[in-house]
Amino acid sequence: MFDPYYLQQLAIGLSQGVIYALMAIGFTLIFGVLNVVNFAHGEIYTLGAFVGLLVITALAPPLLVVVLVVAAVGAAFGVGLERIAFKPFRRFSDEASLKSRAMRESTLMSSLAVSIVAREGLELAFGSQMQTLPFDQLINKPIALGPITIVTGDVIIFAVAAVMLIGLQWLLTRTRVGLAIRAVSANPLGAKYVGIDTDRTIILTFAIGSMMGAAAGVLVGLYYGAIFPAMGFVPGIKAFVAMVMGGLSSIPGAVICALLLGLSEGLATTFISSNWADMVAYGFLIVTLIFFPQGLFGAGRERV
Amino acid sequence: MTLIRRTFIGLALAAPVLFVASADAADAIRLGYQLPLTGNTAQYGQDFKTAAEIALDRFNASGRLPVKVEIVYEDSRSDAKEGVAIARKFVDDEKIVGVLGDFTSGVSIAAAQVYKEAGMPQLSQTASHPDFTKISEWQFRNITTQAGEGPYNANWILSKGYKKVAVIAEQTDWGQSVVQYFAAELAAKGGTVVFTEFFNRGLPDFRALITKIQRDKPDAIYTGFFYEDGANFLKQAKQLGVTTPIFSTSAAHNQKIVELAGADAEGLSLTTNFLPNSPRPEVKNFVDAWVKARGAEPGQFPAQAFDAVNIMLDAVVKTYPKTTRASVREALAATKDFPGVTGLTTFDANREPQKQLSKARVIGGQFTAVSE
Amino acid sequence: MSEIRRLIRPVPILLALVIFVAVPLGLAQFGKGYFFQIANLVLIFALLAASLHLVAGVAGLLHLGHAAFYGIGAYVAALLGTELKLGFLWGLPAGGLAAAVLALIVALPTMRLVSIYFAVATLAIGQMIHTVLLNWVSLTKGPNGVLLFSGIKLFGWAAKTPVAIYFVVAVVVAASIFAIHRLGHSYYGNALRSLREDDQCADAMGIDTVRLKIEVFTLSAFFAGIAGALWAYTTGYVSPTDFNFSNSILVLAMVVVGGLGSLPGAIIGAFLLILLPEVLRGFGDVRNVLVGLVMFFSILFLPKGLFGEVSALTFVRRHFGRSQNRVPGGEVGW
Repeated sequence: MFDPYYLQQLAIGLSQGVIYALMAIGFTLIFGVLNVVNFAHGEIYTLGAFVGLLVITALAPPLLVVVLVVAAVGAAFGVGLERIAFKPFRRFSDEASLKSRAMRESTLMSSLAVSIVAREGLELAFGSQMQTLPFDQLINKPIALGPITIVTGDVIIFAVAAVMLIGLQWLLTRTRVGLAIRAVSANPLGAKYVGIDTDRTIILTFAIGSMMGAAAGVLVGLYYGAIFPAMGFVPGIKAFVAMVMGGLSSIPGAVICALLLGLSEGLATTFISSNWADMVAYGFLIVTLIFFPQGLFGAGRERV
Repeated sequence: MTLIRRTFIGLALAAPVLFVASADAADAIRLGYQLPLTGNTAQYGQDFKTAAEIALDRFNASGRLPVKVEIVYEDSRSDAKEGVAIARKFVDDEKIVGVLGDFTSGVSIAAAQVYKEAGMPQLSQTASHPDFTKISEWQFRNITTQAGEGPYNANWILSKGYKKVAVIAEQTDWGQSVVQYFAAELAAKGGTVVFTEFFNRGLPDFRALITKIQRDKPDAIYTGFFYEDGANFLKQAKQLGVTTPIFSTSAAHNQKIVELAGADAEGLSLTTNFLPNSPRPEVKNFVDAWVKARGAEPGQFPAQAFDAVNIMLDAVVKTYPKTTRASVREALAATKDFPGVTGLTTFDANREPQKQLSKARVIGGQFTAVSE
Repeated sequence: MSEIRRLIRPVPILLALVIFVAVPLGLAQFGKGYFFQIANLVLIFALLAASLHLVAGVAGLLHLGHAAFYGIGAYVAALLGTELKLGFLWGLPAGGLAAAVLALIVALPTMRLVSIYFAVATLAIGQMIHTVLLNWVSLTKGPNGVLLFSGIKLFGWAAKTPVAIYFVVAVVVAASIFAIHRLGHSYYGNALRSLREDDQCADAMGIDTVRLKIEVFTLSAFFAGIAGALWAYTTGYVSPTDFNFSNSILVLAMVVVGGLGSLPGAIIGAFLLILLPEVLRGFGDVRNVLVGLVMFFSILFLPKGLFGEVSALTFVRRHFGRSQNRVPGGEVGW
C-alpha cells in the first residue's frame, strides 16, 4: 500500500503551488503586455489583503462579496499604479528612447519605488506586525479525504484559480479586448498603427491583472489567517520564477510551473530539511532553464 | 556642466541636514537606544520604544536624580549597515553614557564591535547570540539565554513523562541555541530527540514540516519560534489534527499568539519570567501603563526592554554625579537582584543575566502560570 | 592647446584630491566616527554599484543576485581571518577570487540565457547562495554569522583610527573603480555594449557573446567580492541577512537611479541611496517612504538616470580621455 504520508505531502505541495499560481496569473498577464517586470505586483497583493481586512471588519459580508469588492478595489489600484509608475514613461516615443536600455528599465525602478512607498506606508498605517482576520471568516476548516487532510481554502483557492485561468483564456482568445491585449503584447507599435488604443489596452490589462493579484492576496490572507505588510514579497518572487519558467507568454504555462514549484518544495521537505527547500525550487528552475532556455512553454525567440 | 551641477546641487541640498544637531537640553544625561522602528521587524522596535518611554517617564517623574535623563532613539531597520552607523553616532555623542539594543543579534553584534572599541556599555534586551556577551566586557543582555531555558524545558517535558521529543526551531542564531541546549539536556536525562529541523523565519506553510514530525510520532514537540511563526504553526498543526503537546520558549510569549491562533493556541506550554496577570505591584504598574498606551497586554519582549531600561537607569543613578561610560559599565556589572517585571535580575561574571523561570500555559485564551 | 589639455586634466586630479584630501580632512575636522563610517559605507557600495554596472549597465544584463557574490567575498575574507588567521592582505584578494571562481562555475551553464531568463537565473543563483550561507552551519556558522576581530593589518602596520581605515578602503575602492572605468571604456567595453544593444547582431558580427557574458559576470563578481571583503573588515561581523535579495535590489536601484550604463551614475546612485536614509533620520519613521519617493521622482524626471550614459560618456571622454589616441575629427579610439 502506498504510504499516505506521501499523498499528504503531495496535497500540501499542490496547495502551495495553487497559491503561487494564483499570484502568477496576474503577474504574467501584465508582464506579457508590457514586457517589463512589475515589482509592485506583490504590493497589490498585500493591499488586496488589507482592503479585505477592512471590508471584513466593517461589514462582515460573505466571502464571495469580499472577494468581489477586493477585486474591484484591486482593479482601481492597478489603474492607479499604471498611471503613476508606467504611463509617464511612455511619453518618450522617439526612436532613441525606445532603443535606450536605461529607458526600458526605468519602469522597473519606478514600480520598485512605488512598491517601497506602498509597503512602508502600510507599515506606518498598520504596523509591521501580523494582523488577525476574524476567525469565523477564515477558510481553513479541515476536510478529511481518506488518509489525507486538506482545508476548505485549498478547494476555494483551487476553484478561484481555475475560474481565473479559464476566464482569462476565454477573454484573451475569444473577445476583441483579448485580441487587443494580445496585439499590444506582440507588437505595441504595430498595434498602434492598426488603430488599437494601446493606452487603454494597457490600462485594462493592469486593471485585470491587479484585480487578480488583489483577490489572491485576500484569499491567501484568509487561508493563513494572518496578513502583514511584507506578505507579498515571497509569493511575488515565486510567481516571477513560475512565470519565467513557464516561458513568459503562456499563462497556462505559468500556472503549471507554479504547481511544479509548489510540488517540488513540498516533496523536497520530505527528503531534506525544510530550510533547504528553496534550494530545490531554484535548482529546479536553473536546470529547467539550462535545457529550455525559453522556459518550458515559451515560444522561440523572434528576431526583434 | 549642467550634469555635474545637478549632482552637486543634490548633494549640497543633502549636506546641511547632516549637520543639524539636535537641540541640547542643559546638562541632561543621555542614553542611546538603537532599535528597528521601521521595516519587517518594526513591531518589536515599536514595542521597545513604548516600554522605554514608560520607564523613562516614571524615572524622570520620580526625581531620583536632580538632572533629567533622556533617551535618543535611532531606527536601525534590523540592518547591520545602519546599526553600525548608529553605533558610531552614539559613540560620537559625548553625552551618551550607555546604549540599549539592538533587537536582532546580528545587528547587535555588528554594533558591538564599535562599542567594544570605543568603550561604551551596551545592554540589549533581546540579543541571544551565544557569543554576544563574549565580544567584550562592554556587552550585557537582559534575555535569558537558552543555556538556562533549554535545560529547564527539557526537565519540564521529561517530568511530564514525555520521552520522545521532536524539536523544531527557526534558522537563526537563536534557533540554533534553542535546539543545542535543549537536546543536550534531554539526552543527558534519558530522553531522545526523535526529530530536529530548522525552518526559515517567516515560512508561511508549516504543513509539510508538521506532517514530517507526525511520522516520527513524538510524545511532545519542542519549538523555538517567535509568536508570528508560532501562530501559523499552531493553526496548521490543528488543521492537520495534531494533538501532541507543544512546548515553547519565552520568545513565543506574547498575547498576540493567542489573538492570531485563537483556540488553536490552547494548551501551548512555555517558560516565561513575566506574567502580565501577576499580582506584584511593579508588574501591575507596568501592565497598566502599557495597556493605557497600547490597549493590549504586553508580552515577554516589552517586559525585557522595560527591565533593561530600568537596569540602565539604575546604573546611572548609582554612578551619579560621576556618570561616565566606564562607571556605568561598572555599575551595570554590579547589578544584583534588580527587582524588575521579569523577576530578579543579576548579571554574572560573563555579563549574562540570571533569572528565575516559571511555567505557563495557554488556558482559556490566557497565559496562566502552572506549577507541575 | 591639445598639448596642454593632455598634460592637465583637472577633473581626475580634483576627484583624487576630494577623495584623499578634502573628505578625510573635512571629516577629521568633526572628529566623528559616524561620518567615517558613512563614508566607508558609501565607498563600499560605490564599488558594489560599479561592479554591477559592468553587468547591468554596460552589458545590459539584468542581474538580480549580485549581493550573493558580495556575500561570498565577505564570508571568505572573514573565514580566512578567523579560521586560518590569514589577514587582510590575503582576505581581500581571496574574497574577490572566490566570488569570481564561484561566478565562473555558475555562469558556465547559465550564460546562454538572454533577457529576462537571464535575470531570473541570476535571481535563483543569488537565492541559492544565500540559502547556502544561511544553512551550511558547519562551514559558514549559519545564522550565527562570523565574528572577525583581527582588523586591518598591512605589513605590520595596523589601521586602527577611522582615518586610517578610511584610507585603506578609499585606496582599494578607487583602484577597483579605476579598473572598471578603464575596462568599460576599452574596446572590450564596446563589445559589451554591443551585447546590450543587440546580442544577436553582435553574435553575427563574430563576437562570442556567451564567452563575453561569462567573463563580465565573473569580473563583476570579483569586484563584488572585493567589496564584500572590505565590508567584513570594516564591520568585523558578517551574517547572511546582509546579503539577501533586498540588498541585490538595493544595488540594482543604485545603478538604475544613477543611470544605467553610466559609471559615474552608478557611483552617484550609491551615494544617494546610502546617504539618503541617514540624512532623513530626522524625519523619524517616515524616512523610508521619503527614500521611495525620492527614487520615484528622480526616475520620473530623469528616466535615464541622474547621470545618464550619453552625458556620462561625453563627460568622461572630455575629462578622462587619452587625447593622444584621439583621431582628428572624431572621438573614437580609446
